[in-house]
Amino acid sequence: MKSYLIKRLLSVVPVLFIVSTIVFLILYLTPGDPAIVILGEEASQEQVDNLREQLGLNRPMVEQYFSWIGNALRGDLGESFYMNETVMGAILSHLGPTISLGILAELIALVLAIPMGIIAARHKGTATDQSVMAFSLLGMSIPNFLLSLFLILIFSVTLRWLPVAGYQPLSAGLWEHLKFLILPAFALGTAHAALIARMTRSAMLEVLNANYIKTARAKGVKERWVIYKHALRNAFLPILTVMGQSFLSLMGGTAIVETIFSIPGIGQLIVNAVMRRDYAVVQGAVLYVTFAFVFINLAVDMLYGIVNPQVRLDSKK
Amino acid sequence: MQAKPVLEVKNLRTSFRTERGKVTAVDGVSFSLGKGEVLGVVGESGCGKSATAQSILRLFDETYTTHEGEVWFEGQDLLSLPAAAMHSVRGNHISMIFQDPLSSLNPVYTIGNQIAEAILIHKNVSRREANARVLELLKLTGIPAPEKRMGEYPHELSGGMRQRVMIAMALACESKVLIADEPTTALDVTIQAQIMALMEDLNEKLDMGIILITHDLGVVAEVCSRVVVMYLGQVVEEADVVSLFARPLHPYTQGLMKSIAQMDCDRSQPLHVIEGTVPSLHSVPAGCRFAPRCPFADDLCRTRMPELEQHGDSQKVRCWHAETILREGNADA
Repeated sequence: MKSYLIKRLLSVVPVLFIVSTIVFLILYLTPGDPAIVILGEEASQEQVDNLREQLGLNRPMVEQYFSWIGNALRGDLGESFYMNETVMGAILSHLGPTISLGILAELIALVLAIPMGIIAARHKGTATDQSVMAFSLLGMSIPNFLLSLFLILIFSVTLRWLPVAGYQPLSAGLWEHLKFLILPAFALGTAHAALIARMTRSAMLEVLNANYIKTARAKGVKERWVIYKHALRNAFLPILTVMGQSFLSLMGGTAIVETIFSIPGIGQLIVNAVMRRDYAVVQGAVLYVTFAFVFINLAVDMLYGIVNPQVRLDSKK
Repeated sequence: MQAKPVLEVKNLRTSFRTERGKVTAVDGVSFSLGKGEVLGVVGESGCGKSATAQSILRLFDETYTTHEGEVWFEGQDLLSLPAAAMHSVRGNHISMIFQDPLSSLNPVYTIGNQIAEAILIHKNVSRREANARVLELLKLTGIPAPEKRMGEYPHELSGGMRQRVMIAMALACESKVLIADEPTTALDVTIQAQIMALMEDLNEKLDMGIILITHDLGVVAEVCSRVVVMYLGQVVEEADVVSLFARPLHPYTQGLMKSIAQMDCDRSQPLHVIEGTVPSLHSVPAGCRFAPRCPFADDLCRTRMPELEQHGDSQKVRCWHAETILREGNADA
């Protein structure tokens, strides 16, 4: 396992290198002089020259590239053109809300989806199965923003149980923190639940036909344990894959839901940066998403090995 | 014939509800298994052997399956027990092993864990005691280095070892009956012989009744004392193994016998085959079910179904022409 981990970590290096190169080039993919693009057509020549100086655009491209890579390696992604902070600082300060929201949404999705998928698989073809599948279709089809608005209307405006929008960090207290996240997490979680429930159902259907399930039953294992001990763990690999994908999309920021609920997460950061043409922040955010992608996938691969010994890689060698 | 049977199947009928209508896979099967007896159940694929075996333990999803008839075991009819009560019968009093030992073992648990589970479900013992018993069972079934094997996963074992593990699991609670559903079909020939020898050995040592389901008449001749021949969900012939091989009465049994390759046969002749295939359960023939493939079939066979009737002391056959066939010898079909 250890040597596999090292191998995987090393293989991350070229990926990050390529992505950082592309990210660096973002600035040059824009037609014309980036400084003018950033400042707008009306900027004076003096302003443009100052910005070029500040961004280092007046130096040769190769030199710029190496200094950018060098800084990035040290964790210095430059400074935001608009906000008075470093790009790294901006990402880190927006990461907290995204992580909290992502974890909560994923938990809601799992708590809904896995039992639903199992029930549907056990009662395949019955009304129960059909209603679970119908719910799942609905969950996938309802746009997030619409569900968010409904939730606000019911739980915030009518029932007044939860705040309409806003965010408090964990340091303000667990409930203070959670009460702002419940509705957005629910809005995001149902869509992900829909997908995970479908995957759980089909994976369980396949596993429940397996011979070792028959063996377990013939051994006298109670049906409940047949499902949870023998079947679910075998069905978990495909479920884990969709879970990884869904968590990844949550970690990349969920601009629409974050905007509706005024949560200062990565999604908002990215949207704002793009609209303001804050290139340094866009570059930083893309690098962050790459990091998240690579490491969540790595974590999912590690979990495969834990769930299923047949993918326990090179543990014996 | 034999002492009081441990297991008695009476007029068992198993039907499945399918998209294409109701299908009866087991149609009025009766037989009994004596204490410590090895009973062979023989027939082609699709003749209902496995369905019979799984019906005894009620392994089918009962939302789609109906069982009729009786399965008597230790004074109770298993088919009329509540579903929950079957848990304490399965694996405890009656165990079962299957054809393909790799797919029959759960890939995500160690074999030690899987065998111990059978013990922990039925016996009130600690995990430590269960593990000690697992070690004993692995030794009993001839698995080398059992301490090491206990912690291994099914994919780390060879096919023969896996079937030994399945047998160890079936022996875990000292069941009185073992149902072995084609236990050697997926194994190499040399390993087949070892597994059969192991089963014979255990049958003698533990006095466990075995229902051996197979399509291999060679295996039957070697280990079984009595044989039930099945065709399309029905028993067509039942006899002790000596009588069956000496004078098979049903044309289907005769066909099966002739299909075995003999060392001293004339190799210029093609091997005997029973013409045609087993009909689908959706289109069961009206009269005798074997009639469309039978060389002796006449109008009577095609219109009316014969009953399973006693012939001599130890043989039963379901055929209108058994007397004639017996008198005139084997058909030269």
